[in-house]
Amino acid sequence: MIEELGYVLAFFVFPGILFASAVGLLFAGIDRKLTGHMQHRIGPPIWQEFLDVGKLFGKEDITPAAANSFVFNCVPLLCFGAVMAVMLLLPINSSQPVLTSVADLIVIIYLLNIPAVCMMLAGYASGCPFGTIGSSRYMVQLFGYELAFIIAALAVAAKVGWSLSLSSIVSYQAQNGWMVSQAALIPAAIAILIAAQGKLLRVPFDIPEAESEIVHGSLTEYSGPKLAILRIAYNIELFVVAAVIVVLFFGGPVPHTIGGIYIPGVVSFLIKCFGIVVLSTVIRNIAARLRIDQALKFFWTFPTLLAAISLFLVAVT
Amino acid sequence: MTFIVPIGPQHPALEEPAHFRIEVKGEEIVGVDLRLGYNHKGIEQALSDRSYAHGLYLSARVCGICNSTHSLAFTRAVESVAGIECPDRARYIRVIDAELERIHSHLLWAGVAAHEIGFTTLFMLFWRDRELSLDMRELLFGQRIYASGTYLGGARVDIKEKDIPQLIRTLDKLEKSVKHYIDVCTSDRTIIARCSGVGILKKKDALELCAVGPTARASGVDLDIRRDDPYAAYGEIPFDVIVEQDGDVLAKVVVRLREILESIEIIRQAIDAMPKGAIRAKFPENVPENEAVGRTEAPRGELMYYVRSNGTNKPERVRIRTPSYANWPSAKPMLVGGTIADIPIVVASIDPCFSCTDRVTIIDTETGKSRIVTKEELRRLRK
Amino acid sequence: MNANEVAQLIKRYADDVKIVGARQVFAVTDKERYIEALTALRDNDLKHLTTITGVDRGENIDVIYHIHCGESLLNLKLSIPKTLLEIETVTDIFPGATLYERELMEMLGVQVKGHPDPRRLFLPDDWPAGKFPLRKEAKK
Repeated sequence: MIEELGYVLAFFVFPGILFASAVGLLFAGIDRKLTGHMQHRIGPPIWQEFLDVGKLFGKEDITPAAANSFVFNCVPLLCFGAVMAVMLLLPINSSQPVLTSVADLIVIIYLLNIPAVCMMLAGYASGCPFGTIGSSRYMVQLFGYELAFIIAALAVAAKVGWSLSLSSIVSYQAQNGWMVSQAALIPAAIAILIAAQGKLLRVPFDIPEAESEIVHGSLTEYSGPKLAILRIAYNIELFVVAAVIVVLFFGGPVPHTIGGIYIPGVVSFLIKCFGIVVLSTVIRNIAARLRIDQALKFFWTFPTLLAAISLFLVAVT
Repeated sequence: MTFIVPIGPQHPALEEPAHFRIEVKGEEIVGVDLRLGYNHKGIEQALSDRSYAHGLYLSARVCGICNSTHSLAFTRAVESVAGIECPDRARYIRVIDAELERIHSHLLWAGVAAHEIGFTTLFMLFWRDRELSLDMRELLFGQRIYASGTYLGGARVDIKEKDIPQLIRTLDKLEKSVKHYIDVCTSDRTIIARCSGVGILKKKDALELCAVGPTARASGVDLDIRRDDPYAAYGEIPFDVIVEQDGDVLAKVVVRLREILESIEIIRQAIDAMPKGAIRAKFPENVPENEAVGRTEAPRGELMYYVRSNGTNKPERVRIRTPSYANWPSAKPMLVGGTIADIPIVVASIDPCFSCTDRVTIIDTETGKSRIVTKEELRRLRK
Repeated sequence: MNANEVAQLIKRYADDVKIVGARQVFAVTDKERYIEALTALRDNDLKHLTTITGVDRGENIDVIYHIHCGESLLNLKLSIPKTLLEIETVTDIFPGATLYERELMEMLGVQVKGHPDPRRLFLPDDWPAGKFPLRKEAKK
């Protein structure tokens, strides 16, 4: 009974919906503030995302007549659910995630693809040409970054003796230091950071939702509460992808004691995730958006090669 | 199987409504159809209903960004018709007015172009510097946007001695910024990836389709009304006409940015050479029957006003041909063969001003009242 | 080409050639010769048609071709009676003339024969046919 209550609490509060939403929206808000300062203006306050999402919940719920309404309405919930599932599978508080029995790297990579698939379904189900173009661009981009992402993750798994369990990766790093401090894995770290920029649809890879070209791409026809749920889901995805990178390469939720102050694991985890988000924001502000063919070419040369080099180095040593 | 993508009338890439029907195969564009007319305001007809003095202000309101040039072209045509020469000091004031407007227009365009390729940081930085040019217009002519400094027979206001040091300081600041931007635009990898080799307009097409302004000059066509048909004080101020050969979006960017530097130089020389004296000559109320053409080099290209007078204080006919209007046929060869992703930046590279293009008549004639808008028109955005 | 050279060139195809100011040439041609005139200009490498203006003069409509000639501007006027309001297209000589001719057709009702794309340009789709906004009758 207590165990079930624990799971419910975990799903709804920590590290579930409340915690993930709060942190995700906060990170998105800080990203916007930082962007503002980098662009020589003040930018919105850091809780702006909360206000925006709140406003969207208050709007009318519309499904366009030309859309396939079943798919159209399911997509936000599917997206949100998948991202929540990943939150429960990540070791956030300690090296053990909430759901221990299925904590597998492959499952997480698949679950992280569901928001992408959802966006594509959304685009095709919208019944609008911008949605179709956005979805087809997203599919092309998926072939680009996913390969680099997977190979980089496999390089880490290889380092831990081909174990795909995240707990073992975190424990290994607790004993041997961060993965990124091993020279063989630095290329993989760079590759996964670039692939993450593509996964999160941030400039220079926000082609599938290029605002000045195809309005909002796949999500053009979404508005009101559905858009609010999608927005929360994508902001949490920002946090989640950063979290996966931190778990794989930057030590995960390891408590530190710096200068006599004890920093619990979850706090150090959040700080490291925040660092990744800031890095992503900086990259997003210093580049223009690429075209889809240029992005694909780029992904299949630079990051994929780096990740493959890491995998090779780890495999032979 | 081709697929039609509608761009507009409402679209984030366009500031003003227009309707492009783009036929695509996958991502490649195979056909373009452009529909204009969403910004009808009835200006040509309205100008023949109003006196010349009213017409001056109305012509400035054809376009928000090229208002000085519009009123200058109108004034040039009307002064030709009436046979009036404006005083020397006024000619230099007109030059300063027109060049400040060119700087403002090009900086605004550069920001918009950066936004179209997704580089919002550069967009914000360009528009930060645009504020400097707007401050100068406010300082000298009293208004940021509709600052047209021309009046029939001379200049509207005089440039005061005490304002000149601040003008020079701001010009120096702008010059430094723009030089930096030229470096950025020609060396940043993502900008080059999006702009180089994109939207090429070959010189032959530019000549045949009668393209004007930076659009033509970026394709190697050496056409600049300030040098070919000098007006105001341009005949006395030496300057370079910037021409590039590649014809792609990057060439257009470089042409416009370097034109800003030229404009800064022109203003400096105009300030030095400006004689003292009166700024306005008397303009008659009734203009004898005559016809004339006044042309200027607007920021977007050659702007032409044809005025025919009939002895009264209202013109018989005013015909406006704006540079954006002339550049539309060139949009088609630039877009076909490219991809959807390039549409915003290629369309933006013509620097289109729909307001300038659609300024012909819609006055209802039957009842003699102003036009009752139909439901179809209400669905379209009207400026 | 400066104004004098242009005036020389156009004398064969037009009457009433005037040079106004330093750089403008006005000339009046007629329906028989205007195509030759424009072709001659194009063959002399004067390819930039600035615009085509239509003016309602009561009995006639003046169609003025403004051609940029390097250092001067040529304004070639063609007067057509309202009873027979047709001209040939010049888009084969100056491809850039397409939009100007469309505007001429919809605003003044001049029939431009042979135009490749005679759709409306600025007027709304539901504007009644036969109403030409820039004609004198259209004024109150």
